[in-house]
Amino acid sequence: MSNHLDSSQDLPIDFSEVLERIGGDELFLEELLKIYFEEFREKIPFLREAIEQGNFSLIQELSHGLKGASANLSLASLKKACFALEMSGREKNIEQARSAFFCLETEFQRLKNYLEASPLGNRTGQRLGK
Amino acid sequence: MKILIAEDDPVSSRILEKNLLNWGYNVNLAKTGEEAWGALKDEDLRLAILDWMMPGMDGVDICKKIRRRRRKKYTYIILLSAKDRKQDIIAGLSSGADDYMTKPVNFLELRARLRTGERIINLEDKLILVQDQLKDLASRDSLTKLWNRGEIIKFLREELERASREKKAVGVIMLDVDFFKKINDIFGHDIGDVALLQVVSRIKRKVRKSDKVGRYGGDEIVTILPNCPPSEIFKIGERLRLAVARRAIKTDLDAIPITISAGCACSEEVPEPTAEKLIRASDEALLIAKSQGRNCVAVHGMSNKGRKNV
Repeated sequence: MSNHLDSSQDLPIDFSEVLERIGGDELFLEELLKIYFEEFREKIPFLREAIEQGNFSLIQELSHGLKGASANLSLASLKKACFALEMSGREKNIEQARSAFFCLETEFQRLKNYLEASPLGNRTGQRLGK
Repeated sequence: MKILIAEDDPVSSRILEKNLLNWGYNVNLAKTGEEAWGALKDEDLRLAILDWMMPGMDGVDICKKIRRRRRKKYTYIILLSAKDRKQDIIAGLSSGADDYMTKPVNFLELRARLRTGERIINLEDKLILVQDQLKDLASRDSLTKLWNRGEIIKFLREELERASREKKAVGVIMLDVDFFKKINDIFGHDIGDVALLQVVSRIKRKVRKSDKVGRYGGDEIVTILPNCPPSEIFKIGERLRLAVARRAIKTDLDAIPITISAGCACSEEVPEPTAEKLIRASDEALLIAKSQGRNCVAVHGMSNKGRKNV
């Protein structure tokens, strides 16, 4: 557990990077993660529907927004999944969209698990709830 | 300073907002291009941070719209985007943005870039101020600081147009100082100038704020009176005459008893009135006042009512 912050390559969030960006304010990071979670939960059903209906422009638009939010919070793997989804929308590739959406949901779950388990995430995870 | 953040990503928007508030800005938030465009109607919004990708109208569309509008004051735009290829930056700046930043934003960099924007806005404000001052200077007579002939005729034309729309009358009073040449000859031009300034000061105290007083030339002073019916103009002329004649004008050398003659004309008494016709009519009335012995007021079209006052 103590090595979480060291192996940042595989971690869903790069705390040191995001904290540097927001001036080291952990409480503010909590607030931002809360906004992110709300945004994510709000958009996921629309994304699912867009994929079911093959609405590629909507897939692109929604995943682009989530990509930006993920980048701001240094959520590298979520950003990557959003990017893949955005590309699938641009290329109108429904198979790629389905697979990227699966990755997105999985990465989101991994982030939640991580925040619940990690020292900073403990506080954040509890407050954010499920 | 007021600043607009147009950003649909709530995380990015909140980070920007918090930083800008910490730096002392007054922040307006918009989530869509349409919201941003609505907010930009506020003339006090001089700085805008626009996200390129937004639902509906995007940042680039807004940049173009901002640059198309005719506004005296400049809006400084920083375009935000995740796109970091050279051709994207060029396209962003070509749309009318002043600056371009890639996301995620580095906040030290943003702060420095905002200061650049503020410097440009402040410089522009100074330029506008000087421009206004120069315009004012060019519109006024250097001695009396009254409106010059060009400005006063322009004002009269505007008032005549308004009067015709609103079915109201405009009055013109042309006056000059009696025996002004003699005052200059006897006391010298410096004292003549002082006397003229005193006359101007007394006249300005007797007119309404909406009236405009100008120096038509030499010692001829013209007053334009919006919304002035023919029944009133003689009374106003008399008020001006008395304000000057009531007591002698003090100068460094002497107290000089100064009087003025005034010619009045009202747009209702002049057929198809134009600025030139009204000025001519008031000038003719002034000649009548002079011929009646000076220190009196004559009204165009009512020369019999022109009265001599001692």
